Amino acid sequence: MSRPQALDDGTMQSVSPVTAPVLAVKDFSLTFKAGAETNLVESVSFSVSPGKTLCIVGESGCGKSVTSLALMGLLPSPPARIVSGTAEFNGRNLFAMPERARADLRGNEMAMIFQEPMTSLNPAFTVGQQIAEGIMRHRDVSKGEARAEALKMLEWVRIPAPEKRLDAYPHQLSGGMRQRVMIAMALANRPKLLIADEPTTALDVTIQAQILALVRQIQAETGTAMILITHDLGVVAEVADDVAVMYAGRIVESGPVEAIFGDPQHPYTIGLFGSVPSLGRRQGRLATIKGAVPPLDLMPKGCRFAPRCPLADSRCHDEVPPTVPFGDGHSAACWYAPIEQTMEARQ
Amino acid sequence: MLKIIARRVFVAIPTLVLVTLIVFGLQKILPGDPLLTMAGEERDPQVLAFLREKYRLDDPFHVQYLAWLGNVLTGDFGNSLRTGVPVSTLIAQKLPVTLQLAVMAIIMAMLIGIPAGIIAAVRKGTVTDYAANAVALSGMSIPNFWLGIILIMIVSVQWRLLPASGYVPLTEDPLQSLRTMLMPSFVLGTALAAYLMRHTRSAMLGVLTSDYIRTARAKGLLPKTVILKHALRNALMPIVTLSTLLFGELLAGAVLTEQVFTIPGFGKLIVDAVFTRDYAVVQGVVLCTAVGFIFMNLIADVLYILINPRLRHPQ
Ligand SMILES: Nc1ncnc2c1ncn2[C@@H]1O[C@H](COP(=O)(O)OP(=O)(O)O)[C@@H](O)[C@H]1O
Ligand code: SF4
Ligand SMILES: [Mg+2]
Repeated sequence: MSRPQALDDGTMQSVSPVTAPVLAVKDFSLTFKAGAETNLVESVSFSVSPGKTLCIVGESGCGKSVTSLALMGLLPSPPARIVSGTAEFNGRNLFAMPERARADLRGNEMAMIFQEPMTSLNPAFTVGQQIAEGIMRHRDVSKGEARAEALKMLEWVRIPAPEKRLDAYPHQLSGGMRQRVMIAMALANRPKLLIADEPTTALDVTIQAQILALVRQIQAETGTAMILITHDLGVVAEVADDVAVMYAGRIVESGPVEAIFGDPQHPYTIGLFGSVPSLGRRQGRLATIKGAVPPLDLMPKGCRFAPRCPLADSRCHDEVPPTVPFGDGHSAACWYAPIEQTMEARQ
Repeated sequence: MLKIIARRVFVAIPTLVLVTLIVFGLQKILPGDPLLTMAGEERDPQVLAFLREKYRLDDPFHVQYLAWLGNVLTGDFGNSLRTGVPVSTLIAQKLPVTLQLAVMAIIMAMLIGIPAGIIAAVRKGTVTDYAANAVALSGMSIPNFWLGIILIMIVSVQWRLLPASGYVPLTEDPLQSLRTMLMPSFVLGTALAAYLMRHTRSAMLGVLTSDYIRTARAKGLLPKTVILKHALRNALMPIVTLSTLLFGELLAGAVLTEQVFTIPGFGKLIVDAVFTRDYAVVQGVVLCTAVGFIFMNLIADVLYILINPRLRHPQ
């Protein structure tokens, strides 16, 4: 299959209708070490529109969690420091807002679900108290009303016997139930943006599917925008509208899910997805690529993937590759994109 | 939950028995024959024989012990060897004094130590944190009697703000009673506040980095709520346990502080008794203190259960 045909595909153009994004991140860089030459997250840009799902994929440690925490304003600073970039949330730059204003957004217009359902709920308070607390923080409601609303949320996330669970403590619930509670808590104030950081990784496979189905259905019902961080390519194929592939703190390729699966352009993406790119449900996690991500202080000046890339040459090591657009929002950061032309030229 | 508490009470019983055995047994192996003290200068053989009979000194150990235990359980700790006053009367006189001092001191310690520990944890690694730690360290290393004397010199002698010594029962003149006890309880309290501060700090540090604190912040809760509600509630257990145990220690009386402020509490009672070899009094006070300490341990256990939902509501 060749790329221009994929671009001409009519269905692909309809994937991203032109609406103002809920969140637009531009040139975001982050470091944990003062004065470090290499940023942990470097020049990351992406955006997500109402009702759409952006999946961020990439190996463990590539900076997905710190990026989402930084957007939520939950990274301790110091040591974390935002070196550059803007994050326009409904037109307002999150990074320029005072802390109090960001706290007003958190759990209200933007919410987050974490990877660790077992430890993310406070063991000292009941589930009902913890959900109601977030409702009362952002809405002018009485305790009784907040409790009633918390009950509604528990029903909504399909927790069996919700009246009973309302007064349960987290330790009395299973991991799957706790994650449902986290989802109820995150959605209680109908956020415009939901960030889900590997929400099913810590759960059993059958529970994973249930939680994912729940998240999708809720998103369909509320029209919230979602950033879903995941390792599971099957999940990406199923729920993503757009995909951003991260490698060592950089986005190496991004675009509509069809383009990423059907026509990957970055050597790292191609490696991740294995040799046969095809759309449809895939099982399993990301494929492994030979070698390891170099530590930050040994990161090459140029392309961060160079030490593991079969195509790398000296320019790749020394100069940061440009982000090459292929149209329709699909782009890859590689000196040799579009890759088919390179391969043809080399033969 | 009641079952768990009942079990804790049950477990405390062997400890109590052990304590009575030790207190009773120690008396037996102490040097010096208390009978000789009691019989006076003449050491009349008849008097000695009478006393041996009265205190069943010729009976086997376990018979003596059980007889003694029976008396103790009915509140009879024997009489002071020196004055003949029942030991239970002496204890009943001193206990309210020591209790008031202990309560005021522990409140003082908690009022200073817990907030200081919270602030030090939240401001970890800043000047505030180092300052709090330095103050705590000096609090631990400054001797109580020295601080007491300095306070008396400044607050009582120079400023004439508070009485330098003495004791007024709470029932007689509550305000004056509190005023008299303020300085001694401050002296005792600051020393304990240092321990509480350090434990609070480390407990809070452990909690503040946990995932549920991140969740609390993700809900948009303000720092005040995150720290004082979500974090402190989970850091409370070591703080409560330590406070209870410190209180138990205070019940043993604070010998030097009571001496400096001339407070007629347990500390003074036991020092006087030791110096006059009044073993009956020593035995009574030691037993009371030990029981008090075991009781406070029990309270700590129960509070632990009350605070911890995992123990209150098992799965
Ligand atoms: N508080 C921190 N201080 C220093 N480094 C951190 C901190 N938190 C995360 N990191 C580093 O940031 C990198 C990216 O982490 P993370 O965002 O969790 O990766 P992932 O993509 O798996 O979610 C990791 O190498 C981690 O060591
Ligand atoms: S820029 Fe060079 S090293 Fe980097 S992915 Fe492209 S070909 Fe490989
Ligand atoms: Mg992560």
